[in-house]
Amino acid sequence: MEKRSSLKIFLAVLNALFLRELSMRFSSGRMGMFWTFFEPFFQILIFVLIKMVLFGAGESNFDFAVFLALNFTAFHMFKNIVIKSTASFKANKALFLYKQVKPIDTIIARSLVEIFITSIIISVFLFLGFYFDFDMQVKDLTMVTLGFILLIIFSFSLGVFMAVLNVFVDSVGKLINFFMTALMFASGVFYSVEMLPLEVQTLLFYNPLVHFMEMIHGFYFYALDDKFVSYEYIFVWTLSLLYLGLWLYIKLEKKIISS
Amino acid sequence: MIELKNVSKSFKTKHGRKYILKDMSIVIPSDKNIGILGRNGTGKSTIMHMLGQIEFPDKGTITSDKSFSWPLGLRGGFVGNMTGKANIKFVCRLYGKSAKEIKKTVEFVKEFSELDDYFDMPIKTYSAGMKSRLSFGLSLSFDFDYLLIDETLSVGDARFRKKSKEALLKKIETCNVLLVSHDMGTLRDICDVGIVVDKGKMSYFDNINNAIAEYAAINK
Repeated sequence: MEKRSSLKIFLAVLNALFLRELSMRFSSGRMGMFWTFFEPFFQILIFVLIKMVLFGAGESNFDFAVFLALNFTAFHMFKNIVIKSTASFKANKALFLYKQVKPIDTIIARSLVEIFITSIIISVFLFLGFYFDFDMQVKDLTMVTLGFILLIIFSFSLGVFMAVLNVFVDSVGKLINFFMTALMFASGVFYSVEMLPLEVQTLLFYNPLVHFMEMIHGFYFYALDDKFVSYEYIFVWTLSLLYLGLWLYIKLEKKIISS
Repeated sequence: MIELKNVSKSFKTKHGRKYILKDMSIVIPSDKNIGILGRNGTGKSTIMHMLGQIEFPDKGTITSDKSFSWPLGLRGGFVGNMTGKANIKFVCRLYGKSAKEIKKTVEFVKEFSELDDYFDMPIKTYSAGMKSRLSFGLSLSFDFDYLLIDETLSVGDARFRKKSKEALLKKIETCNVLLVSHDMGTLRDICDVGIVVDKGKMSYFDNINNAIAEYAAINK
């Protein structure tokens, strides 16, 4: 058999895994493809409606529906990358029979699928936003994009770490789901930090996700800014998690394959 | 050539550590079809998995300049909720086959495995025999130096067993096999040399009949 370079093998594996993940998503149920994109969309719609009906549009000088859609899309991507990654080693065990499939490849493929789905969701929102004439002006597109990229790296790092943990510690996979629900309310998805009382603010800033959210909507809206964002905090968290996750993974890779 | 250098592999059991290989060094010559014999639980499959690089020795190294297939066994290596066809495509992509080659492989496996309508149904609806038909058919469409076959030839009905054996005999004109089996007839027909696994040791015999004799002696 012809010898392939390791980069070529890696890319072939990623390609195969990516297409497989995507087709598995789309083939879940009769409307798999539809729900993949519209489930988050309907969730956001419900949140927006609840907010509008219960609390009114508010005094904010930016479009609150757009604000929620933006935050929720970012959080949804974070949540899915982490949850799908956490389950990834266990779910793909059958594939480690092929020696070129390294466990971490399955996480990379799953993360890529989530990024792909997120970009479609964003396109749907953009289309709807323009069609219904929402105020969707972006203050600094480059920084918003950078915010998303940093969030992706953070999610991936956390995902690798949790995936390794999930192989050796029971119930990690269950706990992460609860944790995500709690995190949604403590991460600046439904509000900007400056709308909150000071005591709550100081508490929330320990949550790294708040900083990503503040960065993303701070650069999107003219009425908001990134004055609450600590970039050191973002980098310390991301790099520590990435280092720890990869270190654990490299140490335990063989055990994960033959587990 | 396959070289094992000071290889140890053990598992923890309730009754202490159980060694499959203990400080084993052996050189297995190239271009031979190798039969692996041993009683149940001696670690034949684990040895096969180590050669296929999906399990790893605790100590020591296994080196070879040859390519090995994935271990063809009852484990399957397929994804339950994808169709047989989708699984075939997936494995082809893993090995970097082009779209044209994939199409050819899909045609071949469909034809060979005789799964008919089941080919487009999820693998979870397959019986063990059907899965190994698919797996075996697929492995025939790659050019490995060694096929790792773990008992798969003994499943399926008599007619398909005969067909697999014939296909394998044809395939080994261009490649070699490492075969785990309890069927002495199959071992004699296909293998040139044999390895008997017993008590943490692998013993090499350059004639399969001698290996079978040794295996019979162990079983007494």
